[in-house]
Amino acid sequence: MSFFRYFVRRLLLVIPILLGITVVAFIIANAIPADPINANLPPNALNDEETIAAFRKKWGLDKPLHEQYLTYLGNLLQGDMGTSIKTRKPVADDISSRLPATIELATLGLVYGTTLGVSMGLISAVWKNSLADYVARVIALIGISFPVFLIALIFLNVFYAQLGIAAGPGRLHPIMRAPPTVTGMFTIDALLNGDWKTFGNALSHLILPALTLALYISAIISRITRSSLLEVLNQDYMRTARAKGLRERYVIGFHGMRNSLIPIVTVIGLSYGNLLVGSILIERIFAYPGIGFYMFRASTSQDFPAIMGVSLLFAFIYVGVNFVVDILYFFLDPRIRIA
Amino acid sequence: MSSISSISSSTPVSASRSRRQAALYHLRRNPLVTLGLIAATLWILIAFTSPLIAPFPPLQQDLAKRLQAPNAFFFAGSDELGRDIFSRVLWGSRITIPAGLSVIVIGSTLGVIIGAVAGYAGGLVDEFLMRLTELFMAFPFIILAMAVTAALGPDIRNAVLALSAVWWPRYARILRGLVLEVKSQEYVEAAHSAGASGAYILFRTILPNCIAPAVILATLDIGTAILSFAALSFIGLGPEPSSPEWGRMVSIGIHFFDQWWMWLFPGLAIASLVMAFNFIGDGLRDILDPRLRGE
Repeated sequence: MSFFRYFVRRLLLVIPILLGITVVAFIIANAIPADPINANLPPNALNDEETIAAFRKKWGLDKPLHEQYLTYLGNLLQGDMGTSIKTRKPVADDISSRLPATIELATLGLVYGTTLGVSMGLISAVWKNSLADYVARVIALIGISFPVFLIALIFLNVFYAQLGIAAGPGRLHPIMRAPPTVTGMFTIDALLNGDWKTFGNALSHLILPALTLALYISAIISRITRSSLLEVLNQDYMRTARAKGLRERYVIGFHGMRNSLIPIVTVIGLSYGNLLVGSILIERIFAYPGIGFYMFRASTSQDFPAIMGVSLLFAFIYVGVNFVVDILYFFLDPRIRIA
Repeated sequence: MSSISSISSSTPVSASRSRRQAALYHLRRNPLVTLGLIAATLWILIAFTSPLIAPFPPLQQDLAKRLQAPNAFFFAGSDELGRDIFSRVLWGSRITIPAGLSVIVIGSTLGVIIGAVAGYAGGLVDEFLMRLTELFMAFPFIILAMAVTAALGPDIRNAVLALSAVWWPRYARILRGLVLEVKSQEYVEAAHSAGASGAYILFRTILPNCIAPAVILATLDIGTAILSFAALSFIGLGPEPSSPEWGRMVSIGIHFFDQWWMWLFPGLAIASLVMAFNFIGDGLRDILDPRLRGE
């Protein structure tokens, strides 16, 4: 199968899922709350007939349910996710101003987490039942069992408050100014501006939250790497590779890793969902002004339109990431290319 | 795989006894499972007895003694209203353990029924239910639970309902596969020819033969369910703020970062309980999947 055909075929599968997600979101937003008007408007607007009438008209609340959905979808396609009760601004604007910060954090978390997870799993599998294996497995167990917000608090307390070796809360030191906005990601914007000092400071503020997320996702990645690699290590072709005199490093690194990559890449894609959830649970602790912090504040103050907006966005990102994983299969699994 | 299990189930008692002995042997060789069992039992005992053993009622305030570090009077310190953290942590087990277990029981039952019906009915019903399952799996499940809880209104019951409502897809998938496998067995055909009804065959003949994997998955899932519930209440979508619920206590503790005892002890309570169930689940999986056993 050519890459183009595979790509298009996978892409066509994504569309019904995205539509399905909007249906689920619509049902949650409109069918579950006893009164959508109550849930979506600020308390002081509930006495204002005009605001209520405008809200009704905009979302088609006086029409039958399927027309309401089409109105909802139409508004969504125009980037309209409603108005936040707390910030009084369109949810879409709130999200787009905070998204770059979270993408920056999640990307770094993914890089750290994958590196940590794959190397721990590799060590565990190759030196099975050694001391290193046990240490790696205990770390994985902590990553799976400790609530990520507790890890965040402990990291912040130990490495920032007690030892003073890591940067504290926020995105930048309070006296520093944000670099001119291009992407909204401080590290990249600072680099584009040639401002190394701001770059270093922004990066140092990312390290603790990114490490927290990394520990959170590396646990599951290292477990899958270990079991996937252990399965491959017992295969006949591994013995053949050794028998023909290949170096152990090459046997494991090439024949071993390559054949165990598919489950590993799959689980990395799935753990992106954990990164997004993790950002909701830790950004408030690090006073990191991204989408996670926004969602945390929305939940604690029952800002319903904002909660729905972020949920929808995260579901879309998650589908997008898993689409990328699907595309990667094409390169990892020769069977797809032959079929 | 199915041929192996059908052989072993028809072999004499001695074989199954030796299998059980082997399982016990591996259980004993894995000290973490024992540790997990002890810790989980301890927490369950605490949940039952906390009204008797906790030094203070969970809501009793003493503003004169607020924000005290751990001492002989308040073993785990006191919070911003002078409530005893130690007592609140003990009482918290009475919320978290039933909540986590309810999510597992409701969610897995829902999944088992949906999967079994899909697999048994086949055709359009199967197609519809499986597309629905895929759709639910397209969401990161905690985020879906957050949206549902927010729509229902935040409290403990709604958090449990929302988590159960997003918990079932994996169970449905597994059960459907198993039912498809068992459906073609001869004893099912025998039940058909004996004139049993569809519902009878599904629930009395097929289901008992494919329930074991769902039970194992449910055991492995208890830790995750507890963590998810704690996460929901951490972001304010669980019990009301005064409740001695662990996630909520950590959440309030963020505002008192330097009073580390306010967030550390409830956080460790979550971690120890989840770890206990994960130890048990891991041991169970090792016993059932010999390939991963550490020989």
